[in-house]
Amino acid sequence: MTGLEFYGVVLLVYLGTDLLAAWGLNLEFGVTGVANLAYIVVIAAGAYTYAVLTLGPDTSFGGFQQYVAGLHLPFALAVVAAAVVGAVVGVVIGVTGLKRIRQDYQAMVMLVISLMAATVVGADTGFLGGQSGLSLIPNPFSGLSAGVGDWAYVGMVAFACVVGYLVMRRFTGGPMGRALRAVRDDEHAAAAMGVSVVKMRLLSQAVGGAFGGVSGALLVAFIGGWSPGAWAYVETLALLTAIIVGGLGNDFGVSLGTFVITVLLLQGVQFLPEIRAHTGLTEALGWIVLGSLTIAFLAVRPQGVFRERRPRYHISDPAADEGGGAGTAMTPPV
Amino acid sequence: MHLLIESIGFGVASGAVLSLGAVGFTLQFGISNLLNVTYGALMSLGAFLGLFLLGHGLNIWLAMVLGGLMIGASSVAFSRGLISPLTRRGLRPFSLVIVSVSAGIVLEYLIVVVAGPATQSYGNLSGATLRFWDFTLTSSQVIILVIAVALMLGLHLLLTRTQLGRAMRATSSNRTLAQSCGIATSRVSDLAWLISGTFCGMAGIALAITTESFDFTLGSLFLIPMIAAAVLGGVGQPYGAMVGGLVVGIATEVSAAYWSPAYESVIAFAILILMLLVRPRGLFGSGSARRLLA
Repeated sequence: MTGLEFYGVVLLVYLGTDLLAAWGLNLEFGVTGVANLAYIVVIAAGAYTYAVLTLGPDTSFGGFQQYVAGLHLPFALAVVAAAVVGAVVGVVIGVTGLKRIRQDYQAMVMLVISLMAATVVGADTGFLGGQSGLSLIPNPFSGLSAGVGDWAYVGMVAFACVVGYLVMRRFTGGPMGRALRAVRDDEHAAAAMGVSVVKMRLLSQAVGGAFGGVSGALLVAFIGGWSPGAWAYVETLALLTAIIVGGLGNDFGVSLGTFVITVLLLQGVQFLPEIRAHTGLTEALGWIVLGSLTIAFLAVRPQGVFRERRPRYHISDPAADEGGGAGTAMTPPV
Repeated sequence: MHLLIESIGFGVASGAVLSLGAVGFTLQFGISNLLNVTYGALMSLGAFLGLFLLGHGLNIWLAMVLGGLMIGASSVAFSRGLISPLTRRGLRPFSLVIVSVSAGIVLEYLIVVVAGPATQSYGNLSGATLRFWDFTLTSSQVIILVIAVALMLGLHLLLTRTQLGRAMRATSSNRTLAQSCGIATSRVSDLAWLISGTFCGMAGIALAITTESFDFTLGSLFLIPMIAAAVLGGVGQPYGAMVGGLVVGIATEVSAAYWSPAYESVIAFAILILMLLVRPRGLFGSGSARRLLA
């Protein structure tokens, strides 16, 4: 496998896992309006769950890392478990957001939860490997030869994305999507119509969390290692930028935004040659462009490149029909 | 007992710096009703400016004042260039928080582009170690404490004895009413941002003095404890922020002594989350409903 081929494999795997994560965050924030700045925590929860369920007891490999559990579950089971843990963590985080306080205070609470999780996990060396994290996480295709195994992994991630997309459409389209959007646009009207606001918000957090958990698990099985450095609070910002730029609540827009931001911008720049004596320059430039994009879009076009498509219902009358189709979007929450 | 008193001493020293930053933060919140997360990046910028000035042979305390003023000017530019236009466009508070987080990231990585990601240090500026009763403090910590107290006293006098201070309090409390009274609120805002930005820069340099080494994430690391202090005291209340800074500082140091140093930031996080969820207006908050409404 050439270097370029491997580069392609890496980008595709990152694209797939980031898509799953972006769809989850879009479900929470774009569709339901839950300001979850702690989304990276559910991704981390999924990653750690997969790790501790497949690494085996922590005394193996000479016991250089310590963590809880330590089983040798098969790949599929560990991924499912990661999804479940992601959902649970998502709901727990969501419960803190139920208190009716100002939205920016809520955002602050989520941000601090994200920081707190990173600090606590990093500080406790016995829980999840502390600051150095966990490594030697098994890849399910490690038995195959290098080239075949990598492309098999890409195929599996693609399969997961197809399944994830279908699941997501189930939630963002149809009656469920309308109920979630109603909660976002006008809580009181939604409650008056009989939609349980609390249930909808927690449901979106659970499903979004499950998406994040699977994303984390798939990512960590490929990379083989995971530590608090990998899930700093800025990672949620990257995903948030992707869905804001792409178009909140628009499935296609979110997907395209994820491709542009997380793959081209953040991953792609890391493969550019480093300018001598200026380490970290390309990564820094990537973040600068990212932050500027977020500010620019929030200032000028908060709906994103592709606006959310809201169906407009009308009685079709051939005489008066001016042509229907997707109506104009209502102003999204951002 | 000795450990408790000693850690309280450390807490007062770190609390002084936290108070300095928290007062600046709460002034900005009072005048703009914005949770300005860029504050952390501005503190980092202050620390690096201080390093630059120090490298050109300036005395550290002069560098602190000068660096502080430069950050004050940057804060005015920030508020005039980014926050005011966006507020006029009608961006909601939540979007403004995202904007301020993004601006903070941009600023921090601009620092990396210019100065590199490596950790820096002011060198050993601690000075002599002073011991009285059971407290152990370095002379630079004592000087910072004195500077912080002096600044807060100055702010108190400004707010209560001068016309500008009255105008600032009025604008912070009810902007429209202040405008109706003929107060030039935009100019008062600029001055408030200048003062709070100066506090921000000085806090950043004070942090760099007291920590052995720092990098571009310095401000972000200490931002949350400062926000915790500001929220604890009641956002928009400078006196509350002063008390809050002390409380957070002492709580952090005592927990580090008795529990574990690795968890000391968790105490500040927990205080912040608890206050935001349980009593957002803080201990001394005026309770004005306007601030708390979604």
